[in-house]
Amino acid sequence: MGRYRNLAPVVAIAILALPFSGLISDFWISLLSNIGIASLVALGLVVLTGVGGMTSFGQAAFVGFGAYTTAVLTIQVGLSPWLTLPISVIVTMVGAFLIGAVTVRLSGHYLPLGTIAWGISFYYLFGNIAGLGGHDGLSGIPALSIFGHKLLGSRDYFVVVWVILVLAIVATRNLMRGRMGRAVRALHDSSLAAEAFGVQSAAIKLAVFVYAAMLAGVAGWLYAHFQRSVSPGPFGITAGTEYLLMAIIGGPGRIYGAIMGATLVIVLRDQLQSLLPWVVGSAGNFEAIVFGAILVLLLRTATDGLWSRIFGPPSPPQFGSSPDGPTEPSIERPEPGSPLLEVRDLRKVFGGLVAVNDVNFSAPAGRIVGLIGPNGAGKSTTFNLITGVLRPSGGSVLFRGENVGTHTPQHMARVGVSRSFQHAAVVPDMSVVENVMLGAHLRGKASMVSATLGLDRAEEARLFAIAKRQLERTGLAGVAMAPVGSLSLGQLRLLEIARALALAPVMLLLDEPAAGLRVGEKKELARLMRELRQEGVGILLVEHDMDFVMSLADHLIVLDFGTGIAEGDAHAIRENPRVIEAYLGGVE
Amino acid sequence: MIQPLLQIDRICVSYGDLEVVHDVSLSVAEGAVVTVIGANGAGKSTLLNALIGLNPSRGAILFGGNSISGNALEQRVKSGLGLVPERRELFADMSVLDNLLLGGFRRSRAERNETLETVLQKFPRLRERGRQLAGTLSGGERQMLAMGRALMARPKLLMLDEPSLGLAPRIVRDVFEILVELRSSGVSILLIEQNARSALKIADFAYVMELGRITASGTPAEISADTRLVESYLGFGKNTY
Repeated sequence: MGRYRNLAPVVAIAILALPFSGLISDFWISLLSNIGIASLVALGLVVLTGVGGMTSFGQAAFVGFGAYTTAVLTIQVGLSPWLTLPISVIVTMVGAFLIGAVTVRLSGHYLPLGTIAWGISFYYLFGNIAGLGGHDGLSGIPALSIFGHKLLGSRDYFVVVWVILVLAIVATRNLMRGRMGRAVRALHDSSLAAEAFGVQSAAIKLAVFVYAAMLAGVAGWLYAHFQRSVSPGPFGITAGTEYLLMAIIGGPGRIYGAIMGATLVIVLRDQLQSLLPWVVGSAGNFEAIVFGAILVLLLRTATDGLWSRIFGPPSPPQFGSSPDGPTEPSIERPEPGSPLLEVRDLRKVFGGLVAVNDVNFSAPAGRIVGLIGPNGAGKSTTFNLITGVLRPSGGSVLFRGENVGTHTPQHMARVGVSRSFQHAAVVPDMSVVENVMLGAHLRGKASMVSATLGLDRAEEARLFAIAKRQLERTGLAGVAMAPVGSLSLGQLRLLEIARALALAPVMLLLDEPAAGLRVGEKKELARLMRELRQEGVGILLVEHDMDFVMSLADHLIVLDFGTGIAEGDAHAIRENPRVIEAYLGGVE
Repeated sequence: MIQPLLQIDRICVSYGDLEVVHDVSLSVAEGAVVTVIGANGAGKSTLLNALIGLNPSRGAILFGGNSISGNALEQRVKSGLGLVPERRELFADMSVLDNLLLGGFRRSRAERNETLETVLQKFPRLRERGRQLAGTLSGGERQMLAMGRALMARPKLLMLDEPSLGLAPRIVRDVFEILVELRSSGVSILLIEQNARSALKIADFAYVMELGRITASGTPAEISADTRLVESYLGFGKNTY
């Protein structure tokens, strides 16, 4: 958006004023109301599918939840529509929570297939419950009224729809640029990294699922009172697929793209229905064919979505400054030299392969310990066992005396163990500073609710300041707002370290931090690591650059075939015949 | 002087704006085993991937007297280069025989079956395991399968990327013995190895690679005697950083 940012409120007001301008007919006004309602559903899908990577074909069922709830409560119980709004939303969210708790766990193709399954079953469920009017549905739903004025005209209704849509856009924007939004985006691209910084992936996925369903539920409520009747048809799998299409045409993760997609799909379908019989001259179902062809063309030509095609990639969010908050936390780090990480008889077996074979070592606070060994020696597996990515087959990992061998990556992040990855695991469509802010995930508290309401600004400013500070330390301050994709390999490695530091770690685990760095960059990195050691941070370092690791490490541990074969200082290791044999091969 | 089978002249390979292989020149004579040894991260695999055409490179590559630097990967394979990749990269869910047959994908059916027979004669173990899934093989068998698969394309030059990786010393010896047999059957070999001592034992000529450069070359005896070899693996102890 960038230069269009300030236009958003102007455009919103212009759209809201549209029906009273006398420029457009009633027909177009109700079409625009339909677009607004569909946009709400597509907006949920932009978050769920576009940002969260969870493809749902079943969103129309949640529209049905909202629509049927208000239909039953207003017709059969006689409640006021305004009272049924919160009830509809709650019913939809509870339904989504239950369905999501089962489906969101599915991975790969199973998740979309799962959504198709319940998308179909709810259609038949709505049609087969006598209390919901069966396949004929329910009619006689009362119109909305404000201060006794019934909103019967399409112009009145248009305003209600679009005011709600504008509110939903503001809430979604707030959500996506905040702490939870970053977590969702990170989960999609690199769940390993997200979890290493404390993101509770299952809970966040479910929360996003419920949020998207909530928007669909509101759309259902609006739809019921607009149409004044409901039947199962619009809540089936065909409608669900169309909503997904709207979200995808606009572009994955693009909020305004949802509206653009909804507009395109609805206007195209409607115009083709009236135009084609006139062109072709007979009343076949040509519109379905042409509609399909146009969509295929659109999807082919604009793979990033139409919104990005026209307005370019998203600009990074702006953050306020935080003059008072401290950027370095007052965490108490243990005395340098005191025990921090203890690995005892650690073992990992994959099938018949013993990848880590009863390894023992310790890494104290305020020391740099190097873990070295030839390719395939089990160094990365050891890292993954310590950080909770893998579960040990035997032995234990103690951190500050606590046995953490079977804990999750999130737990390790909470106790202050932070890591970098061998292959830079960054979120490609976020800016540099946002990636670092992900590292500070656990230093914020803002919930999804406070984020949607925009109450997280002060905290966001503080997280931003934390991230900026770490970028300064790693020499990346100049590219803070740049997209991650523009960084060089060396800068990406430094970004990984900045992100790890944003957690305010007690212990830092670095997996080949010097790989791909130039000599000058390596010197800078070595300086930073000595500075951290001085501050009492314990550092465990896997590195292949021997000059680098031997200059830095206070103590070295050598692994070969998963087994510890030597430990000691750099001099002793270089002279050790077993180490030489491990690296250069045996002398027979 | 006889034209070497493979001759590369001042090859440079970059990832993005970072150059990782600098001005590397080497040659492989017909029927020879030539090894490039060096520590992890020296750029050995990157060099090999550039030769087969997986990484773009600058510089001249002459193969059998013809320049192939502008050729795509499939053309290079067709002209007689074969790669046994690092970590073997087998098709784990396919049988041993199917893995082998895929290696001879570009050949006619008759030729493929004929080559299959010669490969299975070289690796009787693979014949025993023919119907087994590649993913269920032991480490040494996997390495043999990867070599057999590359041989199915009947390469003039077989390039191996760290065949000893993850193998116990006894198995490494078996694998290297097979390489010696291959040479005597007329295949030239370019061997990239971290396991310097095993590689030097079978090689006719050796290059040492460090941080993207060739820093020493000579006969295996000359290289083994050079103290710099150990330094190139375990650092120089000069506290550069």
